[in-house]
Amino acid sequence: MNCPMESHNPEMLVAYAAGQLNQEALAAFEKHLSGCPACSATAADQMAVWQALDVWEAPSVPSDFDRRLYSRIGAEQRLTWWERLARPFHPLMLRRILPLTATAALLLMAGLILERPAAVAPATKGAESVRAEQVERTLDDLELLGQFSAARPGTQEYRDAM
Amino acid sequence: MGVVAAALDYDAELMLRVKDGDGASFALLLEKHRASVIHFVYRLVLEQAVAEELAQEVFLRVYRSRASYEPTAKFTTWLFRIATHLALNWLRDEKHERMQERLDDGPPDLPAREVSDRRPSVEDQLMYQAKLAEVRRAVAGLPEKQRAAVLMHKYEEMDYVQIAKVLGCSESAVKSLLFRAYETLRARLAHMGRI
Repeated sequence: MNCPMESHNPEMLVAYAAGQLNQEALAAFEKHLSGCPACSATAADQMAVWQALDVWEAPSVPSDFDRRLYSRIGAEQRLTWWERLARPFHPLMLRRILPLTATAALLLMAGLILERPAAVAPATKGAESVRAEQVERTLDDLELLGQFSAARPGTQEYRDAM
Repeated sequence: MGVVAAALDYDAELMLRVKDGDGASFALLLEKHRASVIHFVYRLVLEQAVAEELAQEVFLRVYRSRASYEPTAKFTTWLFRIATHLALNWLRDEKHERMQERLDDGPPDLPAREVSDRRPSVEDQLMYQAKLAEVRRAVAGLPEKQRAAVLMHKYEEMDYVQIAKVLGCSESAVKSLLFRAYETLRARLAHMGRI
């Protein structure tokens, strides 16, 4: 067989340590191990890890586990429909929901402040005042041009306009 | 798939009976999976009281979901998906500081060891506690998904396909996840097995 480390199949070492190889694969792998020091060392280490993990025993199940569970189930069955609706607002759930709600409220407030018409109003006023001045100036210019066009060179009106 | 899963998986069949209002089937499921759920959650969160509370929540959710239950996968896949989700959420809420505190304090809730031929000496107990603390620290140091995968693989004896379904990733991703996790553990724990 190909070396698992070189053939991009290192998971085989884990399966070997876990005892998950079938007889055929196990025989082929053990044959490979006898001629491959790298795989042999890694496999020995993985076996050691597997054994080390055996040290970790979980605590025993408490004797009142079922009683407490059935008492909670019973309490749930006695809930009225509005209490069932309010279940997401249980203190434990609120711990998760509150930060999200606060963030959403902040974003909403920020959006409202940025979108307020008052914030845009000064710019509009400025634009209006600029436009009024421009109109006045344009009217003056037109009046002056009218005077020019009405006055013919050599006349008293032409001399007054100049 | 639903019909096939129900045919192959006796637990799924029991759950379908719970759906039909059979409380005795729920008691059977609880009896069968109670210990493995508590142990799995305990090894993830490292606190016995929290593990018991979360395990209660797991079974409560199973019971609450009975009406909408469809056997689209193995029952244990569904069960451990709920357990993993709850435990990892709890860990994210608690952050790493508390986890580190618990590791530094040492295991406050050591399981009672039973040695058949003789009572363990004080030295044996100290040795055992030191080894246990080292294993707990090494596993707790793994990234969340790797940790959950190792616990399901090593202690719950789940296969790659089932772990992939619980974690919501591909089978090849689980193989790679497990290999990286065991490589990290090899660097931290291999010396223990050789002693």
